[in-house]
Amino acid sequence: MTKLLRIEFKKILTYKIFWILVGLYFIFLSAGILMAEFMINNMVDNMNKHLPIPVPHVAIYFFPWVWQNIAFFATIRYVLIFPAIVIIILVTNEYSFKTIRQNMINGMSKAEFLNSKLLLILLISVIMTIFVAIATLILGFSNTADVNLATVLEKSSFIFGFFVTILTFQIFALFFAFLMRNTGLSIAIFTLYVFIIEPILYYFLKSPIVFKNDISTYLPVNSVLRITEYPSIQVLKQVMGLNLQNTVSFWACCIPLGYAAVMIGIVYWVLSKRDL
Amino acid sequence: METILSVNNISKRYGKIQAVDDLSLEVKRGQVFGILGPNGSGKTTTLSIILELIKSNKGNFHWFGEPPSKESRKRIGSVIESPNFYPYLSPVNNLKIVAEIKDFDYADIERVLKLTGLYERRNSRFKTFSFGMKQRLAVASALLGNPDVMILDEPTNGLDPQGIAHIRELILLIASQGTTIIIASHLLDEVQKICTHVAVLDKGRKLFDGKVSEVLAVSDSFELSALNIETLKQTVALHPAFVSLIPIGEMILVYFKEDIQPAELNQFFFQKDVILSHLSERKRSLEQHFLELLEDNK
Repeated sequence: MTKLLRIEFKKILTYKIFWILVGLYFIFLSAGILMAEFMINNMVDNMNKHLPIPVPHVAIYFFPWVWQNIAFFATIRYVLIFPAIVIIILVTNEYSFKTIRQNMINGMSKAEFLNSKLLLILLISVIMTIFVAIATLILGFSNTADVNLATVLEKSSFIFGFFVTILTFQIFALFFAFLMRNTGLSIAIFTLYVFIIEPILYYFLKSPIVFKNDISTYLPVNSVLRITEYPSIQVLKQVMGLNLQNTVSFWACCIPLGYAAVMIGIVYWVLSKRDL
Repeated sequence: METILSVNNISKRYGKIQAVDDLSLEVKRGQVFGILGPNGSGKTTTLSIILELIKSNKGNFHWFGEPPSKESRKRIGSVIESPNFYPYLSPVNNLKIVAEIKDFDYADIERVLKLTGLYERRNSRFKTFSFGMKQRLAVASALLGNPDVMILDEPTNGLDPQGIAHIRELILLIASQGTTIIIASHLLDEVQKICTHVAVLDKGRKLFDGKVSEVLAVSDSFELSALNIETLKQTVALHPAFVSLIPIGEMILVYFKEDIQPAELNQFFFQKDVILSHLSERKRSLEQHFLELLEDNK
């Protein structure tokens, strides 16, 4: 296992595009986390222009809600797409450079090759989870007046939700990359699916005219984004009538994890059948 | 002698095209085994099958007497088609990845880079290399860790004369150290210069195989002349391998049914009291011979 990770490190260590994308990801992620409160209050100000009773400004960085709020803003589509594109590039590069062939010729098995990419995804997910957890703790402690252990930990299950989100979303990207093998095509189709095709399907399936039961929660990308459904902001509940989630539900994690397992299975199968 | 590779009745079909047709091969330790055939004769497909890059439809093969596995591939150094490396990595880092996959330590990297003349450029990125240098890096990568077998697919394709000479010297050097080499080529001349054994393929079928000296043996003809041309004609007809003769001016051109050494021939006439005034071996062009072999087997 450490051998496979060592090989992956060698492949990315001096790869400029990888580090530029990782840098951009950190910038977008940090900006998303830090600007969220400002953006929401901006929206509140706009809303207040039309409301008879003004809604007060919100604060989102205090315990215990900070876990949920940061998990939400760190997993919006526009931010999640970065690690996904990184994975697509790393996988499809192996096809365009034909290095996947060379790796096999040199004595790697197809399973080891896939495992090395999965380990990299796991490692990226763990590192990002630690980063977001630290950011959450720093923001929480500096914005909470009355700190005690119980409030600090109350909603920490959302950091686990973040981990599942970033892990499974990258596995979806890996799936597209292995099936299509071409960098440009995979990025285009994956992005198209995430931002356009699935949102259209979502509204279609949500409509009670089409299906009696709402099965839109079972769409792959939607199931990932639903792990942390909304930021915990009381004003949303009051104005828009949303039911806020209290914790990350086990079932909500099972759906995307199930998709990820099936996709990994399909990639294993396709790799074993397909000539290189 | 230990069998390194045995290929048993493998076939591979791509749609309507039968790329490899019921092919069997046996390569033994220490041989320099050439797979010779025109373009599209199934050489690369065969190599891809024995390296497990593609699956055959029928047949099987064994490396070192065992079913193929990733462990057997670690003992094989291969240069297949184009050199495949990470373009943004230096040769050293590219070779480190190869070493990791093959479970070798990094100590050997310096040696193979020096051997292929790339040591000075060890820290430049691969994409800045010329084609010849890329090909040499592929050879360096194949040499890493002194493999038991080397597989080379058209190793001199696209190289300039200097590059060709360099690669051939390297192959002969490696072969002289006892490494088994399997080399695919469409160049008869190359196979003849480098290989000890050869299998000739055409349209995926093996036409014949054996020692290079036997399979590619060009049945020689000799130009002979003596003071008394009539005695010479009568005497040469007594030679056990004599086939026919054609008079050419003051000389005769004699065909023999097997390979005859000039010295042997000279001695033969000397014993019969015929003193030759001219003895010259005439080789048929190899390409001519090769085309004839292919033609005969149509």
